[in-house]
Amino acid sequence: MTRKRALGLGYLTPYIIGLLVFTMIPFGASLYLSFTDYNLMSAPRWTGLENYTQLFTKDRTFRRSLTVTLIYVFTTVPLKLAFALFIAYILNYKLKFINFFRTAFYVPSILGGSIAIAVLWRYIFASEGLVNMLLTSLGFEAVNWFGDPQNALFTITLLRCWQFGSAMVIFLAALQSIDKSLYEAAEIDGASKAHCFIFITIPLITPVIFFNLIMQMVQAFQEFNGPYIITQGGPLKSTYLLPMYIYDEAFRRFDMGYASAIAWVLFVIIMVLTLAAFWSSKKWVYYAGDKRS
Amino acid sequence: MKSTIKKALLASALVPCALSSATSMAHAADLRMSWWGGDSRHVATQEALKVCGEKYGHTIAPEFTGFAGYLEKLTTQMAGGTEADLIQVNWPWLPLFSRDGTGFADLQDLGAVDLSQYPQADLDGVTVKGHVQGIPVSTTGRVFFFNTTTLEEAGLTPPTTWEEFFGAAEALRDKEGEDYRLFNAVSESAQLLVSLAVTQKTGKDLVDPETNRVAWTPEELVEGITFYQRMVDTGAIQSRQDEAAEGNVKLYEKTAWAEGKIAGSYEWDSTYFKFSDPLAEGEVLTPVPMVTFEDAVTQGVYRKPSMLFAVSKNSSNPDAAAEVLNCLVNEPEGIDALGDTRGLPASKVALDRLEAAGAIKPELLKAHEIMMASEGPAVSPFNEHPELRATFVDTLEEFAYGMVSAEEAAGYIIEGANDVLSQFD
Repeated sequence: MTRKRALGLGYLTPYIIGLLVFTMIPFGASLYLSFTDYNLMSAPRWTGLENYTQLFTKDRTFRRSLTVTLIYVFTTVPLKLAFALFIAYILNYKLKFINFFRTAFYVPSILGGSIAIAVLWRYIFASEGLVNMLLTSLGFEAVNWFGDPQNALFTITLLRCWQFGSAMVIFLAALQSIDKSLYEAAEIDGASKAHCFIFITIPLITPVIFFNLIMQMVQAFQEFNGPYIITQGGPLKSTYLLPMYIYDEAFRRFDMGYASAIAWVLFVIIMVLTLAAFWSSKKWVYYAGDKRS
Repeated sequence: MKSTIKKALLASALVPCALSSATSMAHAADLRMSWWGGDSRHVATQEALKVCGEKYGHTIAPEFTGFAGYLEKLTTQMAGGTEADLIQVNWPWLPLFSRDGTGFADLQDLGAVDLSQYPQADLDGVTVKGHVQGIPVSTTGRVFFFNTTTLEEAGLTPPTTWEEFFGAAEALRDKEGEDYRLFNAVSESAQLLVSLAVTQKTGKDLVDPETNRVAWTPEELVEGITFYQRMVDTGAIQSRQDEAAEGNVKLYEKTAWAEGKIAGSYEWDSTYFKFSDPLAEGEVLTPVPMVTFEDAVTQGVYRKPSMLFAVSKNSSNPDAAAEVLNCLVNEPEGIDALGDTRGLPASKVALDRLEAAGAIKPELLKAHEIMMASEGPAVSPFNEHPELRATFVDTLEEFAYGMVSAEEAAGYIIEGANDVLSQFD
């Protein structure tokens, strides 16, 4: 082994150890545990497919939680991406104090996932909170945000959308990298702003849309803080996302085997959706040098 | 000068002797202790650990937090064998951690702990299959607290029967306004009120100790659930929907509570000050005797050992941990430092000492005396099994939202509870 190679491996070793100890071993262990009955206090007992059978055939809570999670992801991700792109598009203009606005719009992303903001959210949407005060002052009726199962998920969704900053920054970078001459040429040909956006901007930033889509989808499937702090999964489990169910099974009911099985189902769902996104990307994502017309 | 030097030499020679007599058989050890609680408990416990540590020459690292998340943390530590040497354990968790009596060190094997200070009934509550798994720190139970200032303003007195209760609820709203409520009951408190109603009517705890199954019939539980609905319908308590709309805020954090617009609750006796402290100037919270049905079989008090101090079976120095434990609960230094921060001590010597010193606040003493004087069937620790409780609370929520009838709810609760209990056969 050359000295250079040894040095390279030396630099990599801490990462490899971290990857093995904190990711790969727990990853493998959770797969094994998902086929066991394990309550933490005694050794795991092999039960084969029992946990999975229970999940898919008998567990009403799992079905409810899975449905809520899918609704949450399929609502949150498009909304958040659209909003992030909209703000990035505005911030791409040469406005006065543009740097201040760019920073200000990013702030919620830094704060958004924190416990403090989740608590704040609880007060904003409470029956006598800020939102209802605004609504009633405008002549509307107050809304039961947390008490009505139809509305509770919306408040959690909104919290996620509010943290649009990181996606916005990536969109902004992509928008700034588009060659201005393309817009000039289109304008000479009589294209409107809307045409430019649809036929130039969107196709040229599809790789970034794709990247943000995958990242946001994976993160949305793992959402925990918002529902845990704001609604505790209620009412009637209307905000009971799968990560909360995994947590409850593992640390409140001490059923690590069952919790691991739910975690693996969640993993498979994320993987399948990611693969589907990659497969579909061949049809709608355009990279530089792409020969497609 | 010569005599001064002589004295100094003599003193230096005596110091090690003095120290060795102060320290016991256990060598100086580095220990850890974990507990949950509020600020006053954290401060007092750290002080107690300091004085007890100094007494026996041990150092004890404190690990403390609020109640939320403590069970999860302790479970993870127990699974990994990394729990602290001294652990505060909630009594209902005993079946989770020590199903066969080997979850914690057996205190009978650790001579430093003076078990003679505890009534046998208390020791029985912390003994699993003949192994004493911890020291019962105190006995606690649910007590009715009423804001007597609010009641007096409305010309009312604290109710003694449920009929008086419903009458007072109506009178309070009539006299003070629609935003006034006589009582508070959410989630676990609502569940405990349903349990209280059934226990008072039947004389039975939720779990039959003989069969380890639900003791109530579906009809009996339906009556309890209907009783809860009556509380909502009469405006005595807020509906589940309205509680959720407020963001499930804790009672003592609510403005309405601080202002006296919620006039009562059913809480642990030891939490008196948690609920009285936020009240506005001039509002008085008073613990009162159990409210009962006129035809009640029992008062149905929900009384149990509140918590226990256990020694880890994985401790590298269990004798040292036992010395510190005994100091905390049975020796003057620990007793004085801890005071009543964990309720009134179960240890006889500790209770006598605190009472003699006038260190127990009268309101706390009153709440405790009411709870101890009330009668009811023995409470099973399974009442607070996380899964059983979740089944009860979740089903009650479904009932509150009109998703299931009282009959269906009773059926689901009994079936779900029996499923959990059967895991312990």
